[in-house]
Amino acid sequence: MSRRRQVGTRRTTVACATLGCAALALAACGDGDAESGDDTIEIGISLPLTGDFSEPGEGVRRGYELWAEMVNEEGGLLGRRVELNILDDQSNADRVVADYEALISQDEVDLVFGPFSSRLVLASARVVDEYGMLFVEPAGASEEIFEAGYDNLFYAAPAVADDHYNYLFDYIMEMPEEERPDSVAYASMDDPLAQGTAYGLKDKLEEAGIETVADEVYPPNTTEFSGIAAQLAEADADLLVGGTQYQDAVNLIVAVQQLDYQPRMAAFSTAPTLPEFSEALGDDVEGILAPTGYSAAADYPTNAEFVERIAERYDGRIPSEDEANAFTTGQVVQAAVEAVGCAEQGECQQKLIDWLHENTVDTVVGPLSWDEAGRPDSAHFIQQHVDGEPEIVLPEDQATADFIDVKPEW
Amino acid sequence: MSGGLFLQSLILGVLLGGLYALMAAGLTLYFGVMRVVMIAHAAFLVLAGYLAWFFTTRTGLDPILSLAVTVPAFFVLGVGIRRLLITRLKPATMTMMSVLLTFALALVIEGLLGFTFTGVQRRIRTGYSSANFEIFGAQVAVVKLIAFVLAVVALGSLWFVLKKTSLGQALRATIQHREAAELVGIDTDKVAGYGFGIGLATAAVGGTALALDATIYPSLHWHWIGPMMAIIVVGGLGSIPGAAMAAMALGIIHAFLQVPLGATWAQTVFYVALFGTLMVRPQGFFGGRLAQRF
Amino acid sequence: MPNDSDLADASAQGASRPWPIPRLLGTGTLGALAILVLSFPFLTDTGYLLSTGVFILNYALMATGWNFVGGFTGYISLGHAAYWGLGAYATAIMITRLDMPWYLALVTSAAAVAVIAVPVGIAALRVRGASFVIVTIAFVMILLLVFQSWAGVTGGSSGLMVPRAFDVLRTQHHQIFFYLYAAALALTLLVWWAIDRSRFGMGLKAIREDEDKARALGVPTYASKLVVFVLSAFFTGLAGGLYALWFGDLDPVFQFSILMGAYMVLMALLGGIRELFGPVLGALVVGVSVEYFKSEFGDTQFHLVATGLLLALVVLFMPEGLIPWLRGLFQRFGPRASSIREVSAGELAEQVEREHAVDEPGSRS
Repeated sequence: MSRRRQVGTRRTTVACATLGCAALALAACGDGDAESGDDTIEIGISLPLTGDFSEPGEGVRRGYELWAEMVNEEGGLLGRRVELNILDDQSNADRVVADYEALISQDEVDLVFGPFSSRLVLASARVVDEYGMLFVEPAGASEEIFEAGYDNLFYAAPAVADDHYNYLFDYIMEMPEEERPDSVAYASMDDPLAQGTAYGLKDKLEEAGIETVADEVYPPNTTEFSGIAAQLAEADADLLVGGTQYQDAVNLIVAVQQLDYQPRMAAFSTAPTLPEFSEALGDDVEGILAPTGYSAAADYPTNAEFVERIAERYDGRIPSEDEANAFTTGQVVQAAVEAVGCAEQGECQQKLIDWLHENTVDTVVGPLSWDEAGRPDSAHFIQQHVDGEPEIVLPEDQATADFIDVKPEW
Repeated sequence: MSGGLFLQSLILGVLLGGLYALMAAGLTLYFGVMRVVMIAHAAFLVLAGYLAWFFTTRTGLDPILSLAVTVPAFFVLGVGIRRLLITRLKPATMTMMSVLLTFALALVIEGLLGFTFTGVQRRIRTGYSSANFEIFGAQVAVVKLIAFVLAVVALGSLWFVLKKTSLGQALRATIQHREAAELVGIDTDKVAGYGFGIGLATAAVGGTALALDATIYPSLHWHWIGPMMAIIVVGGLGSIPGAAMAAMALGIIHAFLQVPLGATWAQTVFYVALFGTLMVRPQGFFGGRLAQRF
Repeated sequence: MPNDSDLADASAQGASRPWPIPRLLGTGTLGALAILVLSFPFLTDTGYLLSTGVFILNYALMATGWNFVGGFTGYISLGHAAYWGLGAYATAIMITRLDMPWYLALVTSAAAVAVIAVPVGIAALRVRGASFVIVTIAFVMILLLVFQSWAGVTGGSSGLMVPRAFDVLRTQHHQIFFYLYAAALALTLLVWWAIDRSRFGMGLKAIREDEDKARALGVPTYASKLVVFVLSAFFTGLAGGLYALWFGDLDPVFQFSILMGAYMVLMALLGGIRELFGPVLGALVVGVSVEYFKSEFGDTQFHLVATGLLLALVVLFMPEGLIPWLRGLFQRFGPRASSIREVSAGELAEQVEREHAVDEPGSRS
């Protein structure tokens, strides 16, 4: 329903643009139809629903929609109904900027939520900042985003990309010398999030004296992985670390399988946290590690309800990390809005920003607080596929299954 | 480079080179019969890949069986495209305008694929997707070997048609000298139509072979346009054996360069070869005398 | 492009023009249009509309830049996004790594793009037709690979952020760049117009109609093509530099895309490649339609289908473009505009020949 309304709005926009360029009576339509009245809160979102990031992008959409549904069931935000205005940026950096510009200046949304993946967050952070809006985002974990120094930006997950593997690193360091992997191969997509996680671990392992025997980087949309796989197989490292999104992880794994390379441990970012991953690879996922900001079993307030609702909607499966991070984004903004008591463009946004800088928010991924650049200060879990199911294996006090030290052959 | 990696790269290069040869064969055939650079060829490859994927996910049968439908369908489509679109262009500006027209066709195909199947990346999953066997210490992926065999069979059939049948003779005559072919009584219009159909039919096979072991998505065709253009220019525009040899050579060089240079830089070999060929020998290295004039 | 049906508008040939009234009328319309365009930023303060306006001017500048090669010589370059991307990246790199002031970076990078275009032009213009198109496509693809891989300089797939040149509100920023683009466009149109009415332009158009004949008539074809090729790269690069300053976030996939090159061709062809304002009109139509389709059918790939169909229709049914078609309509239904002198391609060639014949002795003495 919100989708239809939004389309109507955009149609006026373009009609306006057409006329505007022909320089015809534009003042009349320049205002757009600011219909976010007193009874609704309109939230503008741009997501990659097609293109490279479409699988995680869809996950984020499900998380946002569930959050809005649950808020509306409880009587809305500040007594106002929440409506999501979601646009598709096709995973393009130029499109995501145009989308937020349109949402903020043309559709005059009251709040915005972030897009998926660091690359798109990086592109959109500036436009949102220049309009002075609060920008809570579910997926911009890479250091470049925080270094840009936007004070309106908050990452709604437990840890930044460089720190995603911290528990795994600690675990490896505590292994007995003879069991510890002594060589590591890295293959990473040239993408800030994917590369950030892989290189975060690489820096730490190299410092600890564990040798890097291969380090391959490939551009997004690479489909032919046999060349990279040949080198990984040749290097034959004990630990294979993939800085991946989704499809590239599947392709890479199939390519190394074809060459019969069997690492003792394998860790990939993002892909193993998606439900599609085990559908695509079947039993071969066993023992694959991944950092995740979310655990369905974690005993945080509201988490149980969130897990239940996802199960209800999607055939009893547990929530994915992207769904959880999107839901968290909603929770963070909700907490700020309810504490400050406003949700509209203008001065209100700065109040929301200030409030978040000073407070801690309880979410499904645990209590979150941020430094001045928007970095969260908790840690990511380490997930492993055990008996075909994604289980939390680190840290041990949150673990739902035991760590498998030697990955079964894939 | 160690011996193992050398052999591995060589095997990979040969297997991929065969696939490239098939994918480029149609492109050089269109040029031969019509002087048309068919930008949409890569889009048709992707379309065939999608049809194979769709066939497999719906029926659960092997994707190769989809060729029974796609090959004849693409042949008819090829004849139709030439008749209904290409022949409408004025002869004087045929080459330039056909580039734009087939470019438009590529956009429409990409858009319709995105419209129908969304932009999500797809991958055919078969029982032999990750299977392999060992030969002299190197691993050979079964699925790549199947794609290679498919390419060899298709190119072999093409060779047979061109060399051993009267249609093939007429086709070769049309490619070599259209006016002369007409003088000896060949209906070049009809022959060119068949040539176009055969070219597109090779796209059906090539696309299916490609999709066996790679992800497909609607905008994938951009990725292939460049390498395929390079192959047909290096091989000499209009020369199918030339394209096949250029594809094999570039495939192997590409596989070897990947080791020291990485995936992206290695890809530039196609364009370096293209520019080099045009600077040194614009008519291509393996036959063809057409490049400079068209 | 078709020969005989094609009538080159020689109305701008100055002195011999018998009727001043249509020219006054033209100047008046031009002035009115310019005023309308220039007043656009005052008519709205909605950031999105302003940015769409800037984007359309960017398209217009790119397409007019493209038309130096396409319009004068008839060589269709599908890879012109290469120069746009190079201009953008050069500007961004000069600002972020060399700390140059923005205006200096803009001009230097456009000049640098022109320099790069010289060897590319030398290679590309050796061949004609299909091979030329292939070379232009290959050039943009090779640049995409280089800019994706050479992360140390270009930022790789993560792209480059360019700091804002002006510390103003976002809407004012859009307004400033609207005028910067408009100024660049005016300059580009002026140069195109000057070439169009010059003898140099005559020679170029002779190449477009029949290159071999033109050469036989003494037109220095290779040098002439190279000059417009480099000019074309310069102005397209300028558009790229402005884009980097305005948009502030460069992504190699977007900067070096064949699709962007195809848009340039479509815009110029749609408006009319023999017309001064053809590419501008095409940019307006295509720019608005692209924005419309992307926002209306965003999560489908429908804008590609629409672009493809439009391109096919133009190629098949309107290869001369909108402006000649509209003029035809006007002439059929409006007053007979007998004042506009038109010459056919054949006459054009004769004219060139005559001028050369007149010139040669003079230049020898």
